[in-house]
Order: sequence, then structure tokens, then C-alpha cells
Amino acid sequence: MTALLELKNLKTHFQRRKTTIPAVDGVDLVINKGETVALVGESGSGKSITSLSIMRLIPSPPGKIVDGEILFNGNDLVKLSDNEMCKIRGNDISMIFQEPMTSLNPVLTIGEQIIEVLMYHQKMSKNAARQKAVEMLELVGFSRAKALIDDYPHRLSGGMRQRVMIAIAMSCNPKLLIADEPTTALDVTIQAQILDLMKELSKKYDTSILLITHDLGVVSEIADRVVVMYCGQVVEEASVDDLFEEPLHPYTNGLMGSIPSLDGDVDRLYSIAGTVPPPEHFPVGCRFAPRCPHAFDRCRNEAPALQRKGSRSVRCFLHDDKEATV
Amino acid sequence: MVSYIIRRTLMAIPLLLGITILSFAIIKAAPGGPVSMLMDPSMKPSDREKFEEKYGLNEPVHIQYFKWLGNMAQGDFGNSLIKRGVPVSELIMNRLPNTLLLMLVSTILAAIVAIPFGIYSAMRPYTKIDYTVTVGSFLGVATPNFWFGLMLIMVLSVNLGWFPTGGVSTLNAPFSLWDRIHHLILPAFVLATADMAALTRYTRSSMLDVLKQDYIRTAMSKGFMEKKVVLKHGLRNGMIPIITLFGLMLPSFIGGAAITEKIFAWPGIGSLFIDSAFQRDYPVIMALTVVSAILVVVGNLLADIMYAIFDPRIEY
Ligand SMILES: Nc1ncnc2c1ncn2[C@@H]1O[C@H](COP(=O)(O)OP(=O)(O)OP(=O)(O)O)[C@@H](O)[C@H]1O
Ligand code: SF4
Ligand SMILES: [Mg+2]
Repeated sequence: MTALLELKNLKTHFQRRKTTIPAVDGVDLVINKGETVALVGESGSGKSITSLSIMRLIPSPPGKIVDGEILFNGNDLVKLSDNEMCKIRGNDISMIFQEPMTSLNPVLTIGEQIIEVLMYHQKMSKNAARQKAVEMLELVGFSRAKALIDDYPHRLSGGMRQRVMIAIAMSCNPKLLIADEPTTALDVTIQAQILDLMKELSKKYDTSILLITHDLGVVSEIADRVVVMYCGQVVEEASVDDLFEEPLHPYTNGLMGSIPSLDGDVDRLYSIAGTVPPPEHFPVGCRFAPRCPHAFDRCRNEAPALQRKGSRSVRCFLHDDKEATV
Repeated sequence: MVSYIIRRTLMAIPLLLGITILSFAIIKAAPGGPVSMLMDPSMKPSDREKFEEKYGLNEPVHIQYFKWLGNMAQGDFGNSLIKRGVPVSELIMNRLPNTLLLMLVSTILAAIVAIPFGIYSAMRPYTKIDYTVTVGSFLGVATPNFWFGLMLIMVLSVNLGWFPTGGVSTLNAPFSLWDRIHHLILPAFVLATADMAALTRYTRSSMLDVLKQDYIRTAMSKGFMEKKVVLKHGLRNGMIPIITLFGLMLPSFIGGAAITEKIFAWPGIGSLFIDSAFQRDYPVIMALTVVSAILVVVGNLLADIMYAIFDPRIEY
């Protein structure tokens, strides 16, 4: 497998007056061709900022990629000019968002919102783009695509709008689709349909997916590999099977405990004590130490590094080679 | 769409009738009257009665109202009391083109300056340029037209002699386009500044709101340059409230210009209104009141219709 996207020590910081907010603080991450990688972690851990950094869509000011590389097919996106980046966005890398209800432009027809991408990136004629837009809408499951194309988005339900978003995102055959919590705002049954659609399309077009989610249930269903983020860093990375069989990091363990069981046992939903510290107050030492049941002295003074463990990696002293006693 | 327009128009009729009753009543209630204006101390009471009889002022109020309404419906607003024998409709029609010209030019001027500034301010909020635009537009809003107009006349016309002090054209000179434009520049500019300032603020806040929306982020994620995103995806949404605003501004096209017209001796509807009010020229005042009221209703109607045209989410 070859890497399609490789983040190396990515740091995206925000500047608020004199404080620096290290929202993403040294993320390493690899997505291979055709692979679906899930990015999980609690709210505020920096998942969205990581994905927006890849798209180079960080609001600036106040945000800025201050360090690291984003290698896409070997090219560092951080170094591209705005013009060059525009040719990649929506074409090679596209993105869908959490809020399908507000992500489509209310005053443009559904067709126009697909056609404009095709005409812009693929240099298609208006007619060809229209033809292709109908095909895309059929592909994402609309049976009356021809009529829909001249409609405005406001009559569609959330699930249908997310299908339109997928049609837009997939229209240029992107190599990477970033989906930031694409199903969080949807009903459970619709969630499953949207995930199935994404899985099907990624197989068909050999598109890699970076799926951001809170929901480990979703992860086990469609991801090949999982990257767990905490406080702007990756704390664990493993194949889905390995991770679910044996989570190494205490944080991952805690997250596993938060999968709601089938009988809807809500008590176990928040099994990690405490909350994510805000980026301006990350603890020194291991950032998880204040909440970690296994924390020991070293954890509070020294920051663990992300270490490889066979086919997976973890950032925890419990799995540090030097920590033989534990 | 057509049925929506017809429905909205029919709904406006009772409103218009109400407005005519109200304006009639207000004028009737105002102190003084046309007769006291025209009387001179040497007139005998019998002259006064004759006079009232001639103009129908001795009839019961409701009869006066219906007569007036009936005539008006036929485009007959009566004759001016001051300029004896001149039909009010003629007075208005003589002046309307001047007002329309002034309004059209100043509104276009305001829009072509204000909208780009407002958009740019919203794209780069809280930067030096935004602050400059903001301060500029507050100054524009806060400066009274009459003061600004007088200052311009004093400096540019009287002291420097660059512009005529007033009027639509040089008296007794043959028609010349440049002469007309020359006369138009100052009053149009004064009128435009106020609108310009308000319009910049509206555009800025509307666009600021729009540019925060998720669909703007979607458009950015498609790879379009910021300019295209703002102009194609942002502007169409941001302009909806602004376009509506133009409909609501329509009635101010008559009253709003009155003082400026007066200062620049611009023979338009606004200065006619002021003159007639001072002279208690009842038929003219009533006609103008009703015409502006109709414009308010039409302006609202236009605003609604434009809203429906520009915003596909409106159901009609
Ligand atoms: N515009 C901003 N200015 C300052 N700080 C920001 C800004 N945007 C994000 N942050 C900070 O970055 C941190 C990470 O945010 P991010 O949106 O990536 O979290 P997330 O993992 O996607 O969470 P969620 O699951 O809630 O979407 C947040 O804690 C926030 O403090
Ligand atoms: S390094 Fe220490 S505090 Fe951090 S996760 Fe591991 S055991 Fe817990
Ligand atoms: Mg997020």
C-alpha cells in the first residue's frame, strides 16, 4: 500500500490576543490509497481543525499552520500557493460536513451546485456537466434526479441533502474524501444509509476516506484503520480489528467504554472522568494524565512520544520500551 | 407567482382607502384653513361664505371626502388654491420628472459606491479598511443633509464657483446636457451620501452574516477562489434583504428629498410639498399625501414581490 496522504508533525495554532491556542499540536497520520481511516476523539480534541488544515481552510487570522507537512501524493500542501490549492480542493480532495441542513446554498438550484464544480475543475461544458450532475444524483440514490436538478435544496430532508453533498463531493472523482461527522445530525436509520453509500462509492472509485466521528460503532462498521486524537495529538493508531480487540492507550480504553450498549445503557456513555482541557491549558507531561487511571510520576513530568508497536502506534509510557517494570 | 402578486395587490386596497380617510382627517383637523389664508381683513363675512361655497368647504365632512375621493380616482386632484386655476395634477406632473431624475441618479450613485464597500468590509472585518469604511459611513449617516448641502453650496458654488447654486438648468439658456448634469451633481451627491452610508452598513452586516454560513464553507471546499465564493454564493444571499430595502425606500423618494430639493432650489415634488404646506394649499398637500401613501403601499408590495423572486424558500 502506498500513502496517499501523510501528515507529519502538523501543528495548527490559533492566536487570540497574546495567547496561542495549539488546537492541533503535532499530528502524524497516514492514509493509504483506497483506505478508510476513522479519526476519533472527544469534542475539542482537534479533529475538525486537522481536517480543515488538510483542506487549507483554516480561518486565518486567527488560525495558521505553524509547522509540519501535509504530503498529498508526495507534494507538501502547506507549501502550495492559494491558486494551486484551489485546483486540489473539490477536485482531488473534497469534503462533506456535519450540518447537511445548512451546507447547501439555499438560493442556488441543486443542479447548479454540482454543475459549477464540474465546469470549474473538469472544464466541462454546461450541457455535459448537467448530464453528469444527473448521473451523480442517480448514483447517490435519487430516482427522480432529472426533476430534482432544478429544485432548490429547501424541500429536501437532512439525509437527502447529505446525499446531495456526497454527489457534489464525489463529482470530480476525488482521491480523498474528508467527512467531518457526516451522520451526526441524522436519524439512526438514515445514518446507516449514508455510511453504506459512502462505503459503496469509495469501493467503486477507489477513494480514500478520512471519516471523523464520535461514534465508535460507526468506526467498526466502515473503517479500515483508526486514529485516536486527544488534545491536539494522536494518542493511538491501529487497524480496526487490533484496536477493538485490544486498545493500548488508556484513553482509547475509556472511549471504548463509552460505546452505548445495545440496550441503551446510558450510564456508561461518559465513562472517562473529567473533561478535555482547553488547548490553552494543556497539562505538561502526558496530556491525558489528569484523567488517566494509570498515571504515575513520570506521566506528570514528561510527555510521551508516539511509538510504533508492530503494525500500530501508541503514545503512552505504559507501552514505552524503557518502562520495563510496568 | 402571478396569482400571488394579484392577491397581494388586492390586499392593499383596503389599506389605501384607510390611508385616504386618515390623511383627509388629519388635514381637516389641522389648525388654520385655506380660507383664513386667502382672507384679507377687508373681506366681509359674506365673502367668506361665498368662497367656502365655491370650493365646497361648507358641505358635511363625509360628503367632502367622497367627492374628493371620487375625483381623485379619475386623476382629478382639484385646482391649487394658491396658483388659482392650475390643476394639482399638472403641478405634480411638472415636477415629478425632476424628482425622479434626482432620486434615480442619487440611488444609483449610492448603490455603486456602498455595495462594494460593504462587501469588502464584510470580507475583511475588523481591519483598518473596515474601520475606515465604518467611520466614514457613520459620519455619512450622522451628517444632516441640509447642513452638508449648504456647506457644499458655500464652498464649491459660492467660494469656488465650480457649481451652480441651484436649479435644474441655467435660466433662459437653451437645453444642454452638460448644463443639466452640472446642476444635478451637487444635489444628487448630497442625497446619495446619506443613502450610501446606510446602504454600506446594511450590506456589511448582511454579508457578514452570510459569510459565516456553512454553505460558504462548502463553496470554499469546492476550490473556488474567495472572490468567486463571495460574489456568487455570498452576494446572492446577502442581497435579498438589500433588494427588499430598495422597495421600502421608494416612499422616501418623495419626502426624503424635500429638504435637499429646497436647498438646491430643485423644482421637484419635495419642495412643492414644503411650499404647499406653508401656504396651506390643501388640494396639493392632500394629493401629495395620498401619492406618497400609495408609494408606501406599492413599495411594500414591491419589496414582498422581490423577496419572493429572489428567495426560493418563500412559498406563495
Ligand atoms: N477559530 C478558533 N479560534 C480559536 N480556537 C479555536 C478555533 N477553532 C477551534 N479552536 C480550538 O481548537 C480546538 C479543537 O477544535 P476542533 O473543532 O478541531 O475539535 P473537534 O475535535 O472537531 O471537536 P468536535 O467533536 O466538537 O467537532 C477547540 O478546543 C478550540 O478551542
Ligand atoms: S502516559 Fe501515563 S498518563 Fe498518559 S496515558 Fe499513559 S499511563 Fe496514562
Ligand atoms: Mg469537529
